[in-house]
Formats: sequence, C-alpha cells, structure tokens
Amino acid sequence: MVYYLLICRSLTYAQRSAKALEHAGITAIVSRVPAGLSPSGCAYGVKLSAKHISNALVVLRNADLHPLKIFVQYADGNFNEVSL
Amino acid sequence: MIYLDSAATTLQKPPGVARAMTWAVKNLSSPGRGGHAAAMAAAEEAFACRCAAARLFKMRNPENVVITSSATHALNIAIKTLARRGDRVLISGYEHNSVTRPLHEIGARVVVAASELFEPEMALHAFERRLTDDTKLVVCNHVSNVFGYILPVERIAEACRARGVPVIVDASQSAGVCEIDFERIGADFICMPGHKGLYGPQGTGLLLCARIPKSLLQGGTGSQSALFDMPDTLPDRAEAGTHNMPGIAGLRAGIEFVEKQKVQKIMAHEHSLIEFAAWELMKRDGVRVFYSEYGYCQSGVLSFCVDAMDCEIVGEELARRGIAVRAGLHCAPLAHKTAGTFETGTVRISVSAFSTKRDIRAFLDALDEILKKRRSSPKTG
Repeated sequence: MVYYLLICRSLTYAQRSAKALEHAGITAIVSRVPAGLSPSGCAYGVKLSAKHISNALVVLRNADLHPLKIFVQYADGNFNEVSL
Repeated sequence: MIYLDSAATTLQKPPGVARAMTWAVKNLSSPGRGGHAAAMAAAEEAFACRCAAARLFKMRNPENVVITSSATHALNIAIKTLARRGDRVLISGYEHNSVTRPLHEIGARVVVAASELFEPEMALHAFERRLTDDTKLVVCNHVSNVFGYILPVERIAEACRARGVPVIVDASQSAGVCEIDFERIGADFICMPGHKGLYGPQGTGLLLCARIPKSLLQGGTGSQSALFDMPDTLPDRAEAGTHNMPGIAGLRAGIEFVEKQKVQKIMAHEHSLIEFAAWELMKRDGVRVFYSEYGYCQSGVLSFCVDAMDCEIVGEELARRGIAVRAGLHCAPLAHKTAGTFETGTVRISVSAFSTKRDIRAFLDALDEILKKRRSSPKTG
C-alpha cells in the first residue's frame, strides 16, 4: 500500500494536522520521521493513505496548516519527496 | 483541617486529577522522544492538555499554549522576552514578587501605576497617565493575591495596544475563576499556575503566547535536534527538557473540571463565601477588613487585620485551631505598600470551588475564640 508522509515543524503541529484531518474523516497517524528525511533531525509527521492525499491537502490548506515537506512511501518502503 | 489558603495552592482537587496522575506515572513516557506506544500516549496527553487550555481561554491555536513548571516560570519567560536593562516598564501597584523580582534582576526602570484598592476606573487612569512614548512594557496583575482585587486588564491592555506597548498579564489568581478570553484581552503573554484555580498539581503552569518568546532554558526538545539553536516555533522553543507528564495529565483533568463546572459558577460560589466572611468580619470589633462592595471587583480572596495583634500570631492561632490561612506579606510587598498594610501585613483567607459556608463559619468561630482570648489578655502579638 502507498502512503504519504507529511513532515511537520513540530510534534504539536503534526498533532494539529492529524486532528484537522481526522475531523474531516481522513485517518491520519502521527509518526516519527525517518532520520534521513527530516530537514534538521528528529521530526514528526502525519502519515495517511495515498488515496486521501488530495483531500488532505485541501483540508490542511483551509486550516492554515502547511507541511514542511511531503514524501510518498511505496509498498517496498522507499520514500520519494514530492512537490506540490 | 479547614483549608482557606487556596490562593497559595488548591489543596482539594477533583478526584480525576489524582487518577490521571497515577495513570500517567504508570503509562506515559516522554512526548517527542520516540515513536513507541508510551511516547505517543504521552504526546497525546500533552496535546490534549494544550487543547483543553486553548478551549478554556478561547485560543485558536493550541501550539501557543506553553506548559511551564509554574506561573513564576511563565512570567520569567515573558518578562525576559520583552524587557531589557534600562527599559521603562509600567506595573500595577499590586504585583507579586514573581513580577517585581525578575524586573529588578534585569535592571528595568520600573514605574508603578499605583491606584487605590477596589477602584478599577482609577487603575485604568493610572495606567493611561503613565503610558509614555518610552514605555517598553506593561505588566499587570489580573487579580491581587493579597486582596482579591480584580483589575480591569482588558481595558488596560486596550490602552496599551493603542500606544503599541506590549502587555503581560499575570493571571495567577484569575485563571479558572475569571473569564479569560485570550484573543479579546489582546495581551502578548498571559501567565498562570496550574495548581491554583485550574486545580492541577504543583509543578505545572501555562504561558499563553501571542508571540514567540525568548528561550529561557535551552536543551532537548525532541525536534530539530541537529540544530544548535532552540527551535523557533512554539511550543518547543519554550519547553526544553523532559515534560512533567504526571503533572500535565493532572493539569488536563483540572482544566476539564473547570470547564465542566463553568468559570462563572465557580466565581459566583467563591464570591458568595467571601461576601459572607467579609460581612461577618466587619461585625467584629477591632477587625479591619479589605472588602469591596463592588462585587465585580473582588474574587475569592479576602485580607483582614486584627488590631493590636500581629498577623502572624493570628495565623498561628488559627492554625492551632485547625484553620489554614496565610499571614504576612504574601510575597507581594508592593501590594501591601499600595494598600497601606506593609507595616502590619494581613491575614488572608482564600476559597476554592470546594470551600463551603461551613468552612467560613468554622473560621469565624475560631477567630472569635482568638479575639475573646485577646480581650481577656491584651498583651498579645
């Protein structure tokens, strides 16, 4: 299964983002970001299913929440950064 | 024991507070320090506490709720963010040492906008008169810890905003008792303890932020670890070190209790007890009571003095009879200087949502015994 990982500026920001997404009916899990992906070490992000990404970005934009970076995680576990 | 010292700390807590703390000790590790279940559970609890505070104080963004170890900690962050050596800082005449001491330490040029007790219009004019072009900061107590005097902080903050002067509000005695609408007050920082009107445990406090504070304490935040600088985002910037998770869990339970009870109801209850106590005290000869007949100007705190009797002796005698009060200067010598009680100090009773009329009657009975004993042996104090 393919997921998206939205990297946030802090744990609390990730929690806010997850709350906004859950409120919109999108399952979102706050999780640690793999060390190689975080811009300055030790970060948290929000993980969600790829099928919800378009809606999720709209929800977050409307809530004035902006991820620092977005990665797609493939079924093989690899990550690729995506730009909006 | 009849506990009438809630202005120091609320001793009776809602049952949920101890339950939450016990659960936290057994189940929560540290938020932002891992991705395992105990760390994520801690993260959820801390976030839930911020959200509860944001709801109670009508803040849009829970990130702007910084969890501190006390109101003093919060005030130090706020004051040291906004004041420098030589800055002209305006304060009310009722500030606690947690405001005056950091300002003294910094070397700020402190100007006191003094006004009479229980005269909010005078307080506002005192600030307006002293707001000059070189005023860098205003720090104002919402409710005096000595007299329960409620200052018009919203109007004072409005006057400051009109002049572009930042404001810090010390809500140590008002959080959980007075309505505090963060957006409406428009202060730059509002500081409060978790262990008084919010019924959380000692070791907790909140700093509500309208701007990014200076980092008072540097250390690990569990975020942006590769950087030498503290993160420039909230709450991480002001929360270095391991969080007090049992404290935060207890604080959340306390805030939710206040939310459920409703601040206006708590205030009405406390005020009715203080009104009863004040009117009864005023009937006693030789007792000077600091009470406002304007109900909207006084919270659940009441000070009094007994003629020819040292306030500490009164406090001691009350304690001997099982009545817990506080006597002396209450870490607020400035308030006493403003009200004219610096030489004598006062005895202070302060109630909570759990105080009852029976508590007040027990206090009055004990005081009557002390007054009777004083009349029969005048050389006391």
